[in-house]
Amino acid sequence: MHRRRLAVTGIVAGAALVTMLALTLSAGARTSKGYKIFFLPKTTTIPVFTQNALGAKAAAKELGDTITYNGPTDVSGPKQVPFIDSAARQGYNGIVISTSDPNAVAPALKRAAAKGVKVVSYDGDTAPDSRTIFVAPSSNKLIGAIEVQWASDETHNKGEVAILSATPTSPNQNTWIKFMKQELAKPKYKNMKLVKIAYGNDDPTESAKQTQALVQAYPNLKAIIAPTTVGIQAAAQELQQEGKCKKIQLTGLGLPNDMRKYVKAGCANKFGLWDERAFGYLATYVVHNVIAGKLTGKLGQTLKAGKLGTFKVVVSDGNKPVVVLGPPLAFTPKNIDKYHF
Amino acid sequence: MTAARAIALRLLARWETLLVVAIVGAGIWSTTLSPFFLKRANLLDLVTPYIFIGLMAFGLTFVVVAGEIDISIVSNMAVSVVCFAQVFDAGVNVWLAALIGLVVATVLGLVNGALVSVLDLPSLAITLGTMAAYAGLAYVILSGEGVASFPSGYTKIGGGYIAGNELPIALPVILAVAVVLGIVLHATRFGRYVFTIGSNREAARFSGIPVMRVRMAVFAASGLMAGLAGVVYVGYFGSARADAGTGSLLDVVTAVVLGGVDIFGGAGSMLGVFLALVLVAELRNGMQLANIQGDTQDIVIGGLLLAAIVAGNLVRRAQTGRFRVRPLRLGRKEVIAHDAADALMPSKLAPQNLKGR
Repeated sequence: MHRRRLAVTGIVAGAALVTMLALTLSAGARTSKGYKIFFLPKTTTIPVFTQNALGAKAAAKELGDTITYNGPTDVSGPKQVPFIDSAARQGYNGIVISTSDPNAVAPALKRAAAKGVKVVSYDGDTAPDSRTIFVAPSSNKLIGAIEVQWASDETHNKGEVAILSATPTSPNQNTWIKFMKQELAKPKYKNMKLVKIAYGNDDPTESAKQTQALVQAYPNLKAIIAPTTVGIQAAAQELQQEGKCKKIQLTGLGLPNDMRKYVKAGCANKFGLWDERAFGYLATYVVHNVIAGKLTGKLGQTLKAGKLGTFKVVVSDGNKPVVVLGPPLAFTPKNIDKYHF
Repeated sequence: MTAARAIALRLLARWETLLVVAIVGAGIWSTTLSPFFLKRANLLDLVTPYIFIGLMAFGLTFVVVAGEIDISIVSNMAVSVVCFAQVFDAGVNVWLAALIGLVVATVLGLVNGALVSVLDLPSLAITLGTMAAYAGLAYVILSGEGVASFPSGYTKIGGGYIAGNELPIALPVILAVAVVLGIVLHATRFGRYVFTIGSNREAARFSGIPVMRVRMAVFAASGLMAGLAGVVYVGYFGSARADAGTGSLLDVVTAVVLGGVDIFGGAGSMLGVFLALVLVAELRNGMQLANIQGDTQDIVIGGLLLAAIVAGNLVRRAQTGRFRVRPLRLGRKEVIAHDAADALMPSKLAPQNLKGR
């Protein structure tokens, strides 16, 4: 009886050992000069962050730095905390972080800062006192306004509009929605009416379900604005399946690669995004300069970000200090084939 | 001599011993993965990010030993966190607000308990329903940015350090909780009732154990621990939002099952669950320090959970001489459907026992 039990234990332990060995080999050893930068996305399971990381790696190559790209598999601030602590323990020089929970990561970022790690946030900002500079993709006001503009362009400026967002707690989603509402309140949009804000939780299935619910609940719906790359793709697929692409216009923020086939099928004629690779590239130049002591977050400081040119530390959307990448790009059937991310 | 050998062998074959071996093994592995693992500050801090997971796992242990499951536990924590935050935000003293959070969590646990025991409904289905309902409730109570302005005197219990800034205050806290709950489970009449109900509910009822009350109590305990986890969670992260604890259920259930608690009920120990928590935390920490990708980490932890279930089943098979392949107990119907002969006829009267009469 005991022999059998020991045999079982042996088999389990053996299997575990093999797995561990494989992982040990894959982890490998890394030696390099330059700064060590930890690039921490909200989650590694959303493709835009991979694009940010590719840009970050390109910048690091130019600067002679090393990028480690890793993060949790759920969109969760608390799940980012062990990554922050781990980066600090490993003696990283800088952390570039995008978070969904600005306050939950703050204590850990302060612990890291106390060990000399420089912190730059991008995309999803942290609590201001836990980072040196925030790198914004654009101005929130411009993002909100331009999405309403796109919706208006596609619907001849009239009819019912719905918003398909990510989670109700996502700070940048909520800011953009706030500016969309402000924009829609302007007299020139008086014939457009916001009927519903739905939340797809940045989950393809849930987003498709919410799209379906919108289509059913609002028979006169003319446009859906989805300011999330996960949401817009799911919505495009759902609208295509239901054959509603002509009736309901889809706009928002999406990745050209995700949306290409829906654009070709006439299911999204105008949507946009900033250049995600350039975004990661810029954030890496910013953290490099912060580590080097050239940027301290004082307003008016400037930096040269390689091929992107010169940027200034400013106040943006009432937030400071911020470095802004620029206005969003609009993708249309005419230009979509120029972008591959 | 043989007696000593038997005791030694029995000790060796205990699940907890296996866990200790695994912890040492994972430690050696982590050391080869990263030169930062063996630093004292790192070792002391290993468990800190997972303390709220551990507290929920301790609560869930009572439920699973009693032969039930509570998958609403993480949603319950989220509700207690947002209630706590709302009350605190309204100007109430932080400790009093935390106490209210605990009460709310216990009440939600009792709701589960009442549905399961009074109405005699399957706990998997009930807590699947309350999991979704509680998660929604958390958003109803507190949507948006959440509350973050907690006083430092309070956030210290979750995220503070003493003894040269290296010993997390939360570590002695969880050790104390583990000891107290260990005593409740293993050295009180209530604990014995829980085990008895978990191994055979009918027998427990016939031997005069207040089955309904004990089953309600284990769900209340699970709720209370979810509340306590919430208090520590807010202390550690300094942020209370409706999505608190998202994605933690895998780690909670892993700690319980890996801790050697029989998923069919009736067996398990608090020590095992604590050791399993240490093992999971250690593996995550080691992989983190080696910058192993998050998805690979999830595969390792998920694989560990599967290995624990399979190994546990094989060990029990070795003990009883037969495989135990049966679904989670969903109520009395299952017994009839599965073992019709036994249910219709007490085994002593089964035909093979009548032979030769």
